[in-house]
Amino acid sequence: MLKAENLSKHYLQGGTEVVALEDFSYSFPAGATAIVGPSGSGKTTLLNLLAGFDVPSRGRVELAGERLDELNEDERAAVRLRHAGFVFQSWNLLPTLTALENVAFPLLLAGVARVQREERAQELLSRVGVAERAEHRPNQLSGGEQQRVAIARALALEPAVLFADEPTGNLDSASGRKVLDLLLAHAGDERRLVLVTHDLDVASHAQRILHLRDGRLIDIEKSG
Amino acid sequence: MELIRLVWRNLTARTTRSIFTWLGIAVATASMVLFLSFGEGLRQALAVEMGNMGPQIRVVAQGTDAFSPPLPELPPEMLEKIKYLAPELGISKVIPAVVMFRGGFDPSSSFLFYGLPEGADPRDFYPKAQVSAGRIDPHPDGAVVGSKKAELNHLQLGKLLRLSHDVKLKVVGVLKPASSMIDSFIFLPLKTLQKVLGTNNYGVFLINLKPGVKADEVAQKLEEAIPGIDAQSSSEALKYAEKAMRIGDLIRFGISLVALVVGGLLVANTVMMSVYERTREFGIMRAVGARRRFIFSLVLAEALFLALAGGAAGVLAGVIGSSVINVYTQHAVGLALSAVTPRLALFAMGIALGLGLLAGVLPARNASRIAVTEALGRI
Repeated sequence: MLKAENLSKHYLQGGTEVVALEDFSYSFPAGATAIVGPSGSGKTTLLNLLAGFDVPSRGRVELAGERLDELNEDERAAVRLRHAGFVFQSWNLLPTLTALENVAFPLLLAGVARVQREERAQELLSRVGVAERAEHRPNQLSGGEQQRVAIARALALEPAVLFADEPTGNLDSASGRKVLDLLLAHAGDERRLVLVTHDLDVASHAQRILHLRDGRLIDIEKSG
Repeated sequence: MELIRLVWRNLTARTTRSIFTWLGIAVATASMVLFLSFGEGLRQALAVEMGNMGPQIRVVAQGTDAFSPPLPELPPEMLEKIKYLAPELGISKVIPAVVMFRGGFDPSSSFLFYGLPEGADPRDFYPKAQVSAGRIDPHPDGAVVGSKKAELNHLQLGKLLRLSHDVKLKVVGVLKPASSMIDSFIFLPLKTLQKVLGTNNYGVFLINLKPGVKADEVAQKLEEAIPGIDAQSSSEALKYAEKAMRIGDLIRFGISLVALVVGGLLVANTVMMSVYERTREFGIMRAVGARRRFIFSLVLAEALFLALAGGAAGVLAGVIGSSVINVYTQHAVGLALSAVTPRLALFAMGIALGLGLLAGVLPARNASRIAVTEALGRI
């Protein structure tokens, strides 16, 4: 479902080659997997490649049976739409749309009819506990509420893989805990949560913790 | 439909900028509509005028253009020749006339005198002509004045009109307003005008045809039979006018193009700024799964929406402006010289949309090609 083989990413920076990720191989099992490491260890680069935001310099990455490294941008976008959801550190909601419309946005891209879209979006907002904020714009919501709306949006098409990059980074501990619980609730028998964090306490809630350093996978720790 | 809702949301989220851009396009389109409305107005006025004219053929000396007052260059022998050919060519009536123009650009100080022979009056020139005061026939020694001329120059019945130091005429008739060129004419006896000009020649022969006779064919036969003349049928005169007006249209369009280019740059600037400001938004959309085409369509639709709304407002403003201009020209020359025809309105809308399209393509292309990692600052 989500698999990486010999994944490498090299950049040219000021004429010098920078190794952001080197020979990463891992097959993500169902459930929650945390990726931890210090700044510059390659966490974000790895998530970019796993989600198809970027293409590797070498190696292969497979999401829902599709070789992302062989697809063009639009094809990768289509795979993301059908099989992946995203929650980032900064909330990443569309500022001109209401909470309800933000959650309904992936459904719009998937061609779901308006009535069904709105029903589904309302149901998801209820599930994450912000149903009463449906008609509010992102700038009228607190950080925790925005992050819960982002989770609702990520779950809109019931994705097989949920990517979360420092999802609790900007939240107070109570809001962070709620957000983490919602994310973990999604990871189950068939579903995967890939949680990138530098917070070991947050990572400890995942079943597995991958440790990165200098662009290399140095340890796989079983947890929970 | 959903795309339109998204476009509306984005434009209303930046209301002030959207309104200014919309106004820019509206002003550019309105200026173009107004400039070009003169050509359309003239076309309409001419077509109506030609349809209302009595004579089907106008014979002038070779080299005289269709809409200039002809000089008295046609000798009496030519009149005899035409009269001789008349039965054969199906000509029912030949009216020899002399035209004299005096004055300048100001309509109130310009005078166009038409000398008509005995037995002819303004109705031979313009069949619907009627008098509001006095009589319609200027003979033997009077002047019949068009309504607009009478109003602008206070030429009421009995007023004395001095044509030269020894030729003076009294106004014997004032015509009813006809919304035609005839409103600005002064009809006189032919002999009087010939005396003023010191000639026995004629300036123009106005020719009426028997029913069913084709004007273009008769005009051609006349030119073949009598060297040194131009025989112009109404349709030929219209064709000539159309040529002249097209040149005018091009010049006016060229001038209005400046405003249009400024309007186009406004849209391009607004959309480009909007794209830069919304880089992150586009990144989010791409991350969630939007294809490039979706982003491209969204940005292009914003530009087109602005252009469409601005174009429609511009056409409306042009219609209002054209009406105001017509109030003035009606007062000055008795004619509506500006018209916003459906074809002009469609042309203006087409240009506004084309402008939006041109201005939107580049920003739309840039927006659709933003890399997700860059847009979300994930490098």
